[in-house]
Amino acid sequence: MRFRSLTFTVNLFLVLALAAGVGLVMAAFTFSLLSSRDQLTRSNLLQQGNIIYTSIANFMLPGNAPLAVKFVSQIAISSPESAISLYRRDGVPAFSDNATIEKVNSNQKKIKFEPRLAPGPQEPRPAGPRFKEATANPPQEVFFRESEGGHTYFRAYRPLINLPKCSVCHGADHTVRGVIDIRSDVSSVIRTQNLTIAGGAGGFLLVVGLLALFIGTFLRSLVLSPIQSIGRLCAEVTSGRFEGRVDLRAKNEIGDLGRTVNQMVSGLRERFELTKYVSRGTIGALTEGEKPQRVQRTLLFTDVRGFTAYTEKTDPERVVGALNRLLERQAEIIHEWGGDIDKFVGDEVVSVFAGEDAAARACRAARDIVRLCAMRAQDFDGLAVGVGAATGPIIQGMIGSERRADFTVIGDSVNIASRLCSIAKAGQVIVSDSTKAAAGLELIFKGPFGAKLKGKTAAQKVWILETAEGSTQEAGS
Amino acid sequence: MKALLAGLCALALSSALCGCVKAAEEIYAPDDYPGWARTTAILLNYPIPGHENRLRIPRMNAKGFTAAPRAQGGKLVWDFPEDTTIVKEVFASANPAPGEKPIQLTIMAKDPTDKRAQAGWLWITKDLPDGKETVFTGNFCVTCHANANEQHPYGDGNPNEDFRDYVYFVPGESVPKGQLSQQPAYR
Repeated sequence: MRFRSLTFTVNLFLVLALAAGVGLVMAAFTFSLLSSRDQLTRSNLLQQGNIIYTSIANFMLPGNAPLAVKFVSQIAISSPESAISLYRRDGVPAFSDNATIEKVNSNQKKIKFEPRLAPGPQEPRPAGPRFKEATANPPQEVFFRESEGGHTYFRAYRPLINLPKCSVCHGADHTVRGVIDIRSDVSSVIRTQNLTIAGGAGGFLLVVGLLALFIGTFLRSLVLSPIQSIGRLCAEVTSGRFEGRVDLRAKNEIGDLGRTVNQMVSGLRERFELTKYVSRGTIGALTEGEKPQRVQRTLLFTDVRGFTAYTEKTDPERVVGALNRLLERQAEIIHEWGGDIDKFVGDEVVSVFAGEDAAARACRAARDIVRLCAMRAQDFDGLAVGVGAATGPIIQGMIGSERRADFTVIGDSVNIASRLCSIAKAGQVIVSDSTKAAAGLELIFKGPFGAKLKGKTAAQKVWILETAEGSTQEAGS
Repeated sequence: MKALLAGLCALALSSALCGCVKAAEEIYAPDDYPGWARTTAILLNYPIPGHENRLRIPRMNAKGFTAAPRAQGGKLVWDFPEDTTIVKEVFASANPAPGEKPIQLTIMAKDPTDKRAQAGWLWITKDLPDGKETVFTGNFCVTCHANANEQHPYGDGNPNEDFRDYVYFVPGESVPKGQLSQQPAYR
């Protein structure tokens, strides 16, 4: 799965959540604003239509149609943002000719109105499906929005119904007498509202940005940065560096976590440092409370040959330097083969191997140590070691006083390994018969030889490990 | 917990069903309306705005015929009782053939409690033969029928401008000379 940083995820979530939340409010506000504007305008236009309708109807009934014309024209003068027109149902502007007068006179069978001498106002005819909708049977009030010449208009068609009382003069063969056309210029209103919406949108973006910045900064300082610090410290510990600490002073859960991590790293450092001075067995015993027990082990002793003489004729710093390099490399080889350094005693190394193939691993470690000394003699100022190994039951447990003790091994095999080491010459690995038997067939031993060991009455059967290159009989060879 | 979940599921299901199943709508022109009495003896085959050159036959349920005008300020005031229903049959032409069925019914149903009511009446159209009834929400019908409360050119013409509750031909209206219907056998 692709790694995605916590900071990115939190910031993304914040921005999305804020955008969704505040955006919904903004959208609702905008929708409400536009909707209420349209409803208000529609209501106003239809109300105007009703008023004008009533006025015109009252002008018409007593036969004062010219008053209706004057009324409409005066409304246009007093309210320039609104245009009011009157059309017959066929779309011809009302009073633009004598057709209506002639029809009324015909229906009344008398000259009720004198025909006009001059033509009336000529206006463009409305057309389209909306006008047809307004003049259909049944007629409908129509409200719509249109743009023209850079202006926006709300427009309403209010049908003039041919009421029964009107049909006396106008005839009863039609339902709609005409249409009142009310057009209101709402450009300035829309412009103002668009500015309001744009301002709101800008404010929305600003608020989202500021909130995201504020909350993001707050979360980063409160949670993310401490977690990142703890993560960096854990990474350092994983790579073996225990010096670092997290600096978290907050008195909250994160602060507690930081302090706990610091304590944990301190403990790890102590344990790590401890491994330099005591065996892994000792550390294991400390942590696991290991009781004394009799176990099968292979003991490996190495000791520098001629070391006393070397120290007497060599500068102390050079002695310590060479010895430490030699001990360091021996320790590495022993660890590589799964052994545990029990102790360093001067120039002597005591190590313990456990497990079914302990003898074989111990022998291979001994072989590598001897080869190392031979091949890199100049690194160790010519020092070389003799090695002894023995396998058998030993007692493993805490040995010492209450104030100072080691988790170490005692027993006959320990003594035998030590004795074999003491008789081994430089570059020689002498192992007990039990070790040779347990080491398997891949390693080559010379022997057996009889060795008289201190503390043993009878001669011990011992073997010398072949350590030269190519002396190992690897599987299949 | 299971009972609570089951209850919530049942509630959600019933809500969904309520949302999907439309409540039965009221029928304003029942199948037996042709048995209702006519409101006028005048033959309404002359052209009028709204119905133009089509024959109309208005009928009213018995409830409507219980209405009686009261005198008020020198005029008569009609107030048809709630649940009065007037069905006006509209035919395709002014002189339909014997046995010809109307093409549409226009209905006035007195129900001032209904939010769609205008002047106390619901104004309904029923298309035939599919029988679909539609409550008219525009003001066209009521605007035209408001003229019934003034002097108008139909029937007796309401010379005294009585309030006739938006009904042009009220029961007992005198028929002007020459307007009596010959009542053709359309049904």
